[in-house]
Amino acid sequence: MKNIFTTAVLLSILICACKKEKPIDNNQPDTYGKIEFKFFHKVDGLPLVTDTLKYINEAGNLYEVNEIQYFISDVVLHRADGSFYNINQWQDIHYVDTDIPATQTWNVFDKIPDGNYSGISFTFGINAQKNQSFMFVNPPESFMFWPDVLGGGYHYMKLNGKWQDPQQQIRFFNFHLGIGQIYGAQDTIYVHNHFQVNLPNSAFTLADKETKTIGIIMNIENWFKSPNIYDHNFWGGDIMENQDAMQAASENGHDVFSVDFGCCNK
Amino acid sequence: MKLIFQPMKRKINLIPIILLFFVTFSTCKKENPLPPDNDKPDSFNPTPYTLDLPFYFPTVLNIPPDNPMTIEGIELGRYLFYDGRLSGRTHPDSLMTCATCHLQEYGFSTGINHPKFTGGRPFGLTGIQTPHYTMPLVNLVFNSNGYLWNGMIHESNDFLYENNPLYHRRNIESLVWMGIVAPHEMYGNVDQTVQLIASIPMYAEKFEAAFGTPEVTYERISKAIAQFVRSLVSFDSKFDKYLRGEVQLTTQELQGFVLFTTESGADCFHCHGASQNPLWTTNLFYNNAKDSIFNDPRDRFAFTGDVMDKGAYKSPTLRNIELTGPYMHDGRFSTLEEVIDFYSEGLVFSPYANPLMHKLPDNGAQLTPNQKQALLSFLKTLTDESFTTNPAFSKPADL
Ligand code: HEC
Ligand code: HEC
Repeated sequence: MKNIFTTAVLLSILICACKKEKPIDNNQPDTYGKIEFKFFHKVDGLPLVTDTLKYINEAGNLYEVNEIQYFISDVVLHRADGSFYNINQWQDIHYVDTDIPATQTWNVFDKIPDGNYSGISFTFGINAQKNQSFMFVNPPESFMFWPDVLGGGYHYMKLNGKWQDPQQQIRFFNFHLGIGQIYGAQDTIYVHNHFQVNLPNSAFTLADKETKTIGIIMNIENWFKSPNIYDHNFWGGDIMENQDAMQAASENGHDVFSVDFGCCNK
Repeated sequence: MKLIFQPMKRKINLIPIILLFFVTFSTCKKENPLPPDNDKPDSFNPTPYTLDLPFYFPTVLNIPPDNPMTIEGIELGRYLFYDGRLSGRTHPDSLMTCATCHLQEYGFSTGINHPKFTGGRPFGLTGIQTPHYTMPLVNLVFNSNGYLWNGMIHESNDFLYENNPLYHRRNIESLVWMGIVAPHEMYGNVDQTVQLIASIPMYAEKFEAAFGTPEVTYERISKAIAQFVRSLVSFDSKFDKYLRGEVQLTTQELQGFVLFTTESGADCFHCHGASQNPLWTTNLFYNNAKDSIFNDPRDRFAFTGDVMDKGAYKSPTLRNIELTGPYMHDGRFSTLEEVIDFYSEGLVFSPYANPLMHKLPDNGAQLTPNQKQALLSFLKTLTDESFTTNPAFSKPADL
């Protein structure tokens, strides 16, 4: 049982390591509220209509989206004084699937201390430390696995769709993000492409006993827009073994998400 | 550093794998109280059944709360699964039961060399062919996405046959009345089956052990068979042993595995799993680009009504795939070589093809003969002989 001991020691070291950066005590606040996230998917400002070839991206590709499956994790609620609250009491990784409505609502378990928050951030995908194979054994999360030969762990996202190429042929894109590879002469270097998202205009106030619903919107067209114009004709249908494509996509991810406090509160 | 790290409390399904090699399910399962049964004596105490599974297996099981698995229930189910009198008839030509079409030696599929069902296509007692080829019965307890090729046996299905709440289409229990009445199977009636089984002396004791009293009812028959089917769990293929570090794969098998799990290779893993999804299926439904015209009245579209589901079927498990041919719902491929040729150069465009079939512009993965051979030898590592020879799953000697 030496391993358990080692793990426990490492665990406590890691926990202590986090403690340094003055997190808000999240154990049993006297007064607290609750948060519920709802996930929305839009293209050009309107709710996503799947399976319909009607969108045009920045590169001019006519495209459709069939489904989107992704993880967000390490959600942090920031305060103006630099302190912050980590959402991690029951779940620190949340899975969203456009085909499974239940995944589009996340009732956060944590009791969140009431007060003013200056913003929300999260990791798109799963951070390098946590992204380990076999962490999820049950569907649907387990279906997100990323093959071990390609670095293992889990897909951050599968965004599957179709586009029309210059010969008017319909082609399929699997815009899949996860651990990238740089193939060297001897070794393969694995690149963790997860990134931090700081949601713009995400300040809010949480009152004691309040449950606040916060809409998080994925603005799909932004995956293909800036700083890199992402052209499916150039990158092709599959990118899991194409670190340049995944890097371009990850760089574009910084402004894909926005927040909507008015989405769902009565 | 490869550190396995569980930061804090997570959802229950985030099992830490810190040196957990075998998880006993009894520890994760909630105590399932037995269903209320008015005739049940107080002394009735069947033995709960637990599955011992490798760490990489799912922990969520699809077991209805009113039918917990017990040793006695499974044993009764095994007899019924193998007893041709389930058809409600006794003439030797009129015997039929689950095992008539679901044979252990073929991973509980029919097998292409079946002596009676030529080419592996079963037909019912009156000669009517089944609409599709047989599916193997393996690891079904881990599937909550629907049973049958089109997934219509699902928790959400509120269909009731003859308005009888027992004749639902929600779970494996449903397959029993469906098998008894279906024209392409036993073409019988449930009451006749119940009467015949009740008249066979040896069953009284088994029903009593499983359900507390000797009474034979349709409900008990269907529950017992479903329990037996749920116990058909396979986790001992060569590939499982490789995952557990017990054996090594050959270079060719490993090459095949890499092809299986890379987009630049053959890209099979998105629909058929891999080491981190040892069911070797997502149990989801895809159109895998075999055709351009779709008119099967029993495809996924027939159940969901969503046009994107035209020509879509469940991606079948590849466990024991070497044994479960012919392949595809319509048995169009007799050998795995033919299946591999199809995925290599035979894909056909249609608007309904699933986007994961991204090799379509090249008609497939365009594998070399060596690559095809490697893929084939990898697929054969998924055969689990201890499953196909397990005495606990075989025909009782005294039947
Ligand atoms: C006449 C042959 C035949 C008999 C008898 C038969 N089956 Fe089947 N079984 C099939 C066929 C064919 C399929 C695939 C049907 C489809 O989806 O079109 C199937 C599918 C199934 C499935 C779905 C598997 C999956 O992965 O979704 C289950 C479960 C099953 N059978 C259980 C049983 C049980 C239990 C019995 C006995 C009560 C039984 N079968 C009797 C031929 C048969
Ligand atoms: C888009 C999802 C998808 C991908 C990718 C895919 N398959 Fe399949 N596969 C399916 C579906 C769906 C079926 C069943 C189709 C039917 O019955 O008509 C199937 C059937 C099969 C069968 C027959 C199984 C049986 O019991 O009849 C084999 C073998 C198979 N696939 C192997 C592979 C291999 C090898 C690859 C990679 C080269 C692959 N598949 C890629 C979805 C997929």
